[in-house]
Amino acid sequence: MKRLLRSKTVMLVYVSAVVVAVFFIMNHNYLSGDNIRGIMNNMSLSGTLGVGMAFLLMGGGIDLAAGAEGCFGAVLVALLMKTGMPWPVAMLLGLMYGAAAGALNAFLINGLNFMGFIATIAMSSVYNGFALVLTNNQNVAISNQAFWRVGSYALFGVFPMAFVILIGLIAVYGFILAKTRFGRCILLCGGNRMAARLAGVSPKKVTTILYMNCGALATLAGSVLAARMHNASPTAVATGALDAITAAVLGGVSFMGGGGSIGGLLIGLILLNTFNNGLIVVQLPSYWQIVSQGALLIIALCVDFFNERAKALALKSSSAKRAV
Amino acid sequence: MERCLEFKGIEKAFPGVRALQDINFRVKGGRVLALLGENGAGKSTLLKIMSGDLRADAGTITLNGREMNFSSPNDAIRAGISVIYQERQLVPAMSVAENIFPGIPPRGALGLVAGKQLKRQAQELIDKFGLSIDPAAPVGTLSVAYQQMVEIMKAYRRDSDVIAFDEPTAPLTDAEIAILFDLIRRLKEAGKIILYVSHRLSEIFQVTDEIVVLKDGRLVAEMKTSETGEQELIRAMVGRDIGDTYAGLNRNDKIGEVLLEVSHLETDVLRDVSFTLRRGEIVGFAGLVGAGRTEVARAIFGADPVSSGEIKIEGKPVRFKTPKDAIDAGVALCPEDRKEQGLVLFRSVRDNVTMPILAKVKRGLFLDNHAEDEITIDAVKRYAIKTPTVDKIVMELSGGNQQKVILGRWTSSKMTTKILILDEPTKGIDVGTKAEVYQMVCDFAGQGIGVIFISSELTEVVNISDTIVVMHGGRVTGQMTRQEATEEKVLALAMLD
Ligand SMILES: Nc1ncnc2c1ncn2[C@@H]1O[C@H](COP(=O)(O)OP(=O)(O)OP(=O)(O)O)[C@@H](O)[C@H]1O
Ligand SMILES: [Mg+2]
Repeated sequence: MKRLLRSKTVMLVYVSAVVVAVFFIMNHNYLSGDNIRGIMNNMSLSGTLGVGMAFLLMGGGIDLAAGAEGCFGAVLVALLMKTGMPWPVAMLLGLMYGAAAGALNAFLINGLNFMGFIATIAMSSVYNGFALVLTNNQNVAISNQAFWRVGSYALFGVFPMAFVILIGLIAVYGFILAKTRFGRCILLCGGNRMAARLAGVSPKKVTTILYMNCGALATLAGSVLAARMHNASPTAVATGALDAITAAVLGGVSFMGGGGSIGGLLIGLILLNTFNNGLIVVQLPSYWQIVSQGALLIIALCVDFFNERAKALALKSSSAKRAV
Repeated sequence: MERCLEFKGIEKAFPGVRALQDINFRVKGGRVLALLGENGAGKSTLLKIMSGDLRADAGTITLNGREMNFSSPNDAIRAGISVIYQERQLVPAMSVAENIFPGIPPRGALGLVAGKQLKRQAQELIDKFGLSIDPAAPVGTLSVAYQQMVEIMKAYRRDSDVIAFDEPTAPLTDAEIAILFDLIRRLKEAGKIILYVSHRLSEIFQVTDEIVVLKDGRLVAEMKTSETGEQELIRAMVGRDIGDTYAGLNRNDKIGEVLLEVSHLETDVLRDVSFTLRRGEIVGFAGLVGAGRTEVARAIFGADPVSSGEIKIEGKPVRFKTPKDAIDAGVALCPEDRKEQGLVLFRSVRDNVTMPILAKVKRGLFLDNHAEDEITIDAVKRYAIKTPTVDKIVMELSGGNQQKVILGRWTSSKMTTKILILDEPTKGIDVGTKAEVYQMVCDFAGQGIGVIFISSELTEVVNISDTIVVMHGGRVTGQMTRQEATEEKVLALAMLD
C-alpha cells in the first residue's frame, strides 16, 4: 500500500515533468521568468486553499464552499479596510470570519448530521450570494498600499509573497500531519471514525478544527489574491474548492479520508497548475480550458476511485450498523 | 459422479511473508475437511485462492478432474465454489432477501412481482434454517450473528459443489451453531465438499471427517478426525503441548473492594441492569447474541447514551459522555467488532496500537515514534502477532492477528486501566494464544484491575470468570460464582423467556 502510494507519487513527478516539457516545446515562453511567477502565484492560491481542503479530506470531511468562503472573506477584508482599518486588523477579522464559517459547516455536519456535500454546497450558495449582495457584483477596490505589498513583495526578488506563505504552510502542516498527535488523529478519524471515537479520539472535535482551518485558509487565499489585484472580487475564487480538491486528490489524498501526505499535495498542486497554466500559454480557447480542468478532476477521481475500489474489494462489505 | 477437490503445489507469497508453500491435499464429496492452524498460518489465503479472490503464485486446483483457473470470485461461484469469508460481505443497506439473491433486481420489469417472489423465496430459505429473520429488513439492522446466517444462506442457495466456511461460528452462540451444524450435515449428505476453518477445537470433532493442519504456510499434518485427539491436534498446530488451559491458570484470589457499581441501568436496549465489579475480580457476561451484553459495556464506556440508572466508580457516580472521558477515568473497552469498531484498517499496526495513548507518547509537541515502536513491539511479542514490521497495514494481517492488535492496544503498558472490559476478546484467536490471553486476564486481575469478560463461548466465560452474570433480552436473568456455575445452568438462564 505504502509502496503503491510512493510509486504513485513518483509517477506524478514524471507526469508533471512531461506536462512541463510538452508545454515548453509548444511555446518556449512557458518557462519564462514571468510565466513561472504566474504559475507560482496561481499555485499559491489553489495551494493555500488546498492545504485546508487536503486536511479536511484526510479527516473524512469535505468543504465545497471553500471557494465561496474565500471570496466572501476577501470582500469582507477589503470592505473593512475601506473604513480605514489597518490591514492586519482587517485580515485578522477576516480569518476569524473564515474560522466561524468553518465552524458553522462543522455544526451542520457534526451537530445536525447533514451530509458534508449537501451542507457545504448550500453554504457555498449562501456566501456567493452574500458576496454579490455586499458588492453589487462590483469589485471592491483596495487603496491600502501597505496591503498591496502583501501581494507584490517578492522574496529575493523572485518568490512572490503568496508563494512564500504557501511554502511556509506546507512546511508547518506537513509537520503537523507527520509528527503530531493531532495529525495522527486526523488520519485515524478519516480512516475509521467509529473506531477512532472508541479509542478516545474525538472525531467531532477533530473535524470541527479542520473545517475552521479550511475556512480560515480560504479567506487567507482570497485576501492574498485581493492584495495582488488591488481589489477584491466577489467571484474571483469561486471555483477554488474544485481546484483544491483536484490538487489534493491528484496528489493521492484519499477522497474517502484516512490517507494522504503533504508531499503528495505539493506534487498535485504542481501538476494542476503547470497544466492549467500551460493551457493558457498555448492559447487553448478559454471555454476549453474549463472543460480540461474538469476533465483533470475526473481523471484524478478515477485514479482515486480505482484505488478505493481496490481497497473496498480487499475490505469487502459491511459497515453494518450496530444491531439492537 | 463423486465430487473431488484437489490442491496441487499451491504457493503464495506476500511482501515479507510466504503465506503458502507447496500445499497438496484432496477432499472427496460428502466429506467435511477441517483446515486448522495458528493465526496467520495461511488458511484464509488458501480459501481466497480457491475462490478466485487471490491468484496463487504456483500450483493448481482441480474440481472433479477439471483444472480451475479463476480470474474473479464470480468465476469461482459459477464453477460451483462458494466461500463464506471470515469477514462478512453483505450490503448493509439492502434487505435480507436482496442480499441472499444478489443481482436479481427487486423492481425489475415486472416490478412488484419480482420483489414479492424474492421475499417469498428468502422466507422459505429462512424457514428451512429455522430462523426468525424478516426478509425485508435491511441487513445492517441485524445482529452480527444473524448477518452471518444470512451470509451462509446466500452461499447455500447457490447450490455449489464446494462450500467453505472460514470461522463461521466466531460471532455465533450455541443455538445458532447448532443450526449451522445441522445444515452442514445436510450438505454433507447431499454429497457436497465442505471445508471448515475454526479455532474452536470442540467443533472440529463435532462436524469434520478429516483434518489438514497448516503451520507457517506449510502443510504439516493430515489426519482423520476419528483417529486423533485434541492434544495431538494442538501439538501439530502449535508445535508444543499446552496443558489444561483452565486448570493451569494462575488465578488471582485477592478480590478487593467494590470498583464499579451499576444499578438499574437502562438504555434503548437494557432494562434494569445491576451488578458490581470488585478490584481484582473477573465478571463474565454470558448470554445469547442480542442479550445486551455489548450494550452494557458500551453504556458504561460512554459510547451509547444512558437513559436512566446509576454507574458508580469507586463510589463516585459517573456518566461518561464520550469514550474519551471513560478512558481518562481508567476504563478500557476492547470492542467486539474489530473491523467496524476496532481497527483503522488502512493504518499501520503501530498507529492502531497507540490510538488511545497518543497523549502519553509525546515528546514536547511531537509524537515520539521511538516510544510508539517500543510499545507496539511489546504488544507484538506478548500476543505473538504475526507481522513482518510494525509499519504493516493492519488490513494485510490475518483475522486472528488483527484481533491481537486490538488486544495489544487495550492492554499496552501505557494504559492506566482500572476497569478493563473485553468484548469477545478471543474471537478468531488460535488455541495457543488463547491460553495466553486467559493468563493475561488473570494477571490483570492480580494487579487489582476489575475485568469484565464478555464472550459467546460458554466454556470460556464459565471457566475464566469469578462471577458470571447471565443476560437475556436486555435484562440480567441470573448471577452466580464460578464454583456454582455449570454450562447447563448458564444456558438455562440465557434462554429464559
Ligand atoms: N493482502 C495481504 N497482503 C500481505 N500479507 C497478507 C495479505 N493477506 C494475508 N497476508 C499474510 O499471509 C499470512 C497468512 O494469512 P491468512 O489470512 O491466510 O491466515 P489465517 O490462517 O487465515 O489466520 P487467522 O486464523 O488469523 O485467520 C499472514 O502472515 C498474513 O499477514
Ligand atoms: Mg483467516
